[in-house]
Amino acid sequence: MEHFKPEEVIVERGSEESSICRNICRALPEVPFRIVEPGDLFHDRAAAAGERFGTAKRKLYVAKHRGDFFKKCPGSEGQVCCNYFVINFASNCPMDCSYCYLQDYLADNAELKVFSNVDDLIAEADRTLSKHRGVFFRVGTGEITDSLALEPCTGIVRELIPYFAEQPNVLLELKTKSDCVDSLLDLDSKGRVVVAWSMNPQPVIDADEHGTATLRERLSAARRCQEAGYRLGFHFDPMIEYPGWESDYRAMIEETFATIDWHRLAWVSLGVLRDTPALKRTMRARFPKTQLLTGEQVFCPDGKLRYFQPLRVDMYRKMTSWIRRNAPTVKIYLCMETREVWQQVFGYAPACEKELGNQMAPSL
Amino acid sequence: MIREHAQAKGFHPQTLERWLSWETSARDALLSLALDLKISENHLRDLMDWLEEAALRDGAAIEALLARQSIDDIKTDPRLGRADKLKRIKEQVRRLRFPRLAQTEDEIRQNIQALKLQPAIRLSVAPGLEGGRLQVEFSAATSEELANLSAQLNQAAAKAEAGEIFRLLAGRESDEKTK
Repeated sequence: MEHFKPEEVIVERGSEESSICRNICRALPEVPFRIVEPGDLFHDRAAAAGERFGTAKRKLYVAKHRGDFFKKCPGSEGQVCCNYFVINFASNCPMDCSYCYLQDYLADNAELKVFSNVDDLIAEADRTLSKHRGVFFRVGTGEITDSLALEPCTGIVRELIPYFAEQPNVLLELKTKSDCVDSLLDLDSKGRVVVAWSMNPQPVIDADEHGTATLRERLSAARRCQEAGYRLGFHFDPMIEYPGWESDYRAMIEETFATIDWHRLAWVSLGVLRDTPALKRTMRARFPKTQLLTGEQVFCPDGKLRYFQPLRVDMYRKMTSWIRRNAPTVKIYLCMETREVWQQVFGYAPACEKELGNQMAPSL
Repeated sequence: MIREHAQAKGFHPQTLERWLSWETSARDALLSLALDLKISENHLRDLMDWLEEAALRDGAAIEALLARQSIDDIKTDPRLGRADKLKRIKEQVRRLRFPRLAQTEDEIRQNIQALKLQPAIRLSVAPGLEGGRLQVEFSAATSEELANLSAQLNQAAAKAEAGEIFRLLAGRESDEKTK
């Protein structure tokens, strides 16, 4: 895949001496840099209205994050929660998937930003992790950005791994659609880091995951991470239903498990395409030809649109059976699904989020 | 004409803009329906969503979808009032947009009917089949009536049609295909 190269890097004054800014300067010597006062950082926001979400991805902002870094994953109302925590070291993503919820979630704050105060991030994580040593934390960095797509220029994950590798009660998950793993391969994660890929068959990648790594590139990167000692995760999410989806997804699963050693997989998750009316409007405007809008999705009680339940349960059951044939005991969970759906797919539902979270921990 | 109609009905500019972005023949077909049935903006937006998405999926023209026999039969049925026509045409368009959902709903409805329960017992499923549950409603004025209704429900639960309803709700239709 072609690695991200912004048209310009805009640095908030005070961040220019940060290690992240220095990494970016080193990695992108030919890209123009501009230092601006904090108040002027987003002065061109109004001028760039319209296709702002797309254009915002062409510049990279480096600024201090002034809010909390460490948060509980919001999940979705009424759905089984996997007790996940998130750390946001950047906001927005250089890739441009048609279905990306950030198009709506970050509509008014679309600038692609990486946060320069990594020390604050680590200090905040350390306060929580040290205070609750009896609690096992699964922490991800891929909620409002891709965990690794910016890594070749920012090197931020390389700064985080040594800290998390030393913590006894955490598992850091790096979730990506990229193949940007080179800077991770010489680090010892001590079993505390899972590198995970969002997976879709190549026809879906071609149609709707713009600027991401190909399926082969993702699998090749996964294999290299596994050889370097990392645990892996795969998220078959969002699964897209279309004529012929079964053969494409089945082939992808077979290719995946032929490429990596499933015994050292941390987990696999399944989730179907989810959107909202607002996101659909944005998708319709930005990607008018996408077939994603034509699936048989209905309103669910949490306000999201999903394929109607019997259809998506059938999809989950097929996916589960194909995965089980290749990896009989791998841990599979559903993302943002109700207890009823869990029951229909697996014949059981976790009693609470703690139970599901704990199910992920002991195998590690 | 569309502009005047939208203005007269007070439609949001985005609705008008979207309508005008359609091919002439498609927008005229919807205008004809909108004028005949005096369609309000919310209903019109539902129709636009479903028609656009069905057309995109099926590679069909919107005007061809609206010219289907099933829709024309309703439009021209002299026994139906305007509100009934709109309700039924919307249902037809919804069925075009969600064919497998509609088929599953039909099969569940047929199985409910085949259980031949007393009118005092009402079986239904959630819109969009979300939740995977069959809802059962009944009321009784005496203990005898309650016992009768319960006995009838027990008998119904043992019938193949009841099992079929739960099979459909659980998405097990294509079990065989996965083997």
